Amino acid sequence: MPDNLYVPIPVRVQSVRVESDDRTLRTFDLAFGDDTEPFEYLPGQFCQLSILGKGEAAFGIASSPTERESLRFTVNRVGTVTTALHYLKEGEELGLRGPLGNHYPVEKFKGQNVVLVGGGFAFTTLRSLAAYLLANRSDYGDITVIYGARRPGLLLYRDELAEWEKRGDIEVHLTIDQPAAGWDKAVGFVPTVTEKIRPSPKDAWAVVCGPPVMIKYTMPVLLDLGFAGDRIYTSLERRMKCGVGKCGRCNIGPRYVCTDGPVFSYAELASLPERF
Amino acid sequence: MSSSLRIAKQDMDQLVSALTSRYRLFGPVDVDGATVLREVKSADELALDAALDGPVKAAFFPQTEMLLSYDGTTSEPPPGRDKPTAVLGVRPCDARSLLLLDKVFGTGKYRDSLWQRRHDDSLIIGLGCGTPLETCFCNSMNLGPFDSQGSDIMLTDIGDAFLAESCTDKGERFLKAAYKSQVQRPSQADLDKAGQVRGKALESLAPAADFSGVKAALATLWDSALWDEVALGCLSCGACAYLCPTCHCFDVQDETAPGTRQGRRVRIWDTCQSALFTKEASGHNPRLSAKERIRQRVMHKFSYFVDNFGEAACVGCGRCIRMCPADFDVRLVLERVKAEERRTKNEERETTKGVRHAG
Repeated sequence: MPDNLYVPIPVRVQSVRVESDDRTLRTFDLAFGDDTEPFEYLPGQFCQLSILGKGEAAFGIASSPTERESLRFTVNRVGTVTTALHYLKEGEELGLRGPLGNHYPVEKFKGQNVVLVGGGFAFTTLRSLAAYLLANRSDYGDITVIYGARRPGLLLYRDELAEWEKRGDIEVHLTIDQPAAGWDKAVGFVPTVTEKIRPSPKDAWAVVCGPPVMIKYTMPVLLDLGFAGDRIYTSLERRMKCGVGKCGRCNIGPRYVCTDGPVFSYAELASLPERF
Repeated sequence: MSSSLRIAKQDMDQLVSALTSRYRLFGPVDVDGATVLREVKSADELALDAALDGPVKAAFFPQTEMLLSYDGTTSEPPPGRDKPTAVLGVRPCDARSLLLLDKVFGTGKYRDSLWQRRHDDSLIIGLGCGTPLETCFCNSMNLGPFDSQGSDIMLTDIGDAFLAESCTDKGERFLKAAYKSQVQRPSQADLDKAGQVRGKALESLAPAADFSGVKAALATLWDSALWDEVALGCLSCGACAYLCPTCHCFDVQDETAPGTRQGRRVRIWDTCQSALFTKEASGHNPRLSAKERIRQRVMHKFSYFVDNFGEAACVGCGRCIRMCPADFDVRLVLERVKAEERRTKNEERETTKGVRHAG
């Protein structure tokens, strides 16, 4: 981080693509500017993307540090900053502050099985994690992905999911909320599908990312399957401004999501009030 | 080695000019009947008798502060400062608040250089409180009206003069440099007078309340109906946060000049009492009602800050009581927190007894 914590570094849009069939999600691959040093990061960390004149917003990094060429973010268009981001074209410049926050404990996962449970457009940092695990495949045991969205067109990174499905070294379970024409995979909410798949808790860690209601109903399923509270991780979102523990708005009890998180274990969260 | 000297009130100009030649000086100034912190150039601007209506933090963490300026897609950090900052007439509560804020901005993984460049080489000239107000409760927050923590030099008003005492090496060096050999040493009568002023101030404060159990009590009262009741009397206006010497929350906004792409990104004091404070772009708001917000305010000050920094984020200045348009009194809330914990505990004891009898 530079001396002034609030000054973003310049980055450039390398490529941009529409991610969802309703066009509310776009994925940006960003390149560091000519004068900026690429930074080190780990899956689960986030950045503040900044459009001067519009403001800043926090986004989980969707690329893996093993993909050296660019940083990936998927942006849902909801407010002022995200709308401005959606107007960015290839080659245009924006600001970035980061990497911020903690990360998934990939060191602890070594030699163990990892179960990734995702819902909707919160799949970004899980994509980072999956890509990281696959890039270091021999360090990890079985990798299972359970990922759901309302309908097929809202699943992120569909081409890549299709590639993973073809690989023999990662188990992918996709689900949608309602039956849809041409969909021959699971139908049902993520917690229910997880219950059916019954991932084994033996030598395993679970990482859950999704809308609050999905997290709320998936946690008990994993606990019932036998995952210990300190072996289930999730990533939280809160409105943020500074991203560095000063502006005071992203706290959950005494912990700040920006600096103590965004990654927390279920055991850590169980001791905090107002967590979901 | 601390030194003390007598500064006649008619000679305050000498002190102020010594300060302004080395520092950017702030002090209490009367503006339309309110005592506010302003940059000061001469002694006759100072209003040292009345307690400041606003917090001294403004000299180090301005209400609106530029984080960067921009033109199109290029940004510049804010310009450097020329002189270090000094504040004259800082009451002990405000002086201590700076130590608390320094924990937030100046420690941990991320250090806030905008705070540090103002705060770290600053000079704080404290002024003891000879006449504490009814709303003052510094003595309940492990502080006193003549406490020197956070001050480099401490002044005591002894009538026609101030007794000035250095409390740090920095304060000592300043006094030596400013007064050289022309120091007027205080007489025994001056020292006696200062002792009387301090004694009277202590006597005039209400007895200290014991808030030591508040944190433990709060831990049991997350779901208590107490918060509904406290919230009923709150307008969520946030005046308490803007006047609080330890509140550090801020918003970040971009201000662009109309018709251009030039502007500045600023941080602005913000308040957790505003519904917008935590409202997310999706519309989701983790603190939807006044109850959740007032609970956050009390919890942050008396529980979370203690968890993170070892002490409460309150110095007993009483501004939030004095200025609240709805008569919110944090002292009473803390007393109710303690009482509510006792009541709940007793009820539990009764219930257990009942069960035992029934069994």
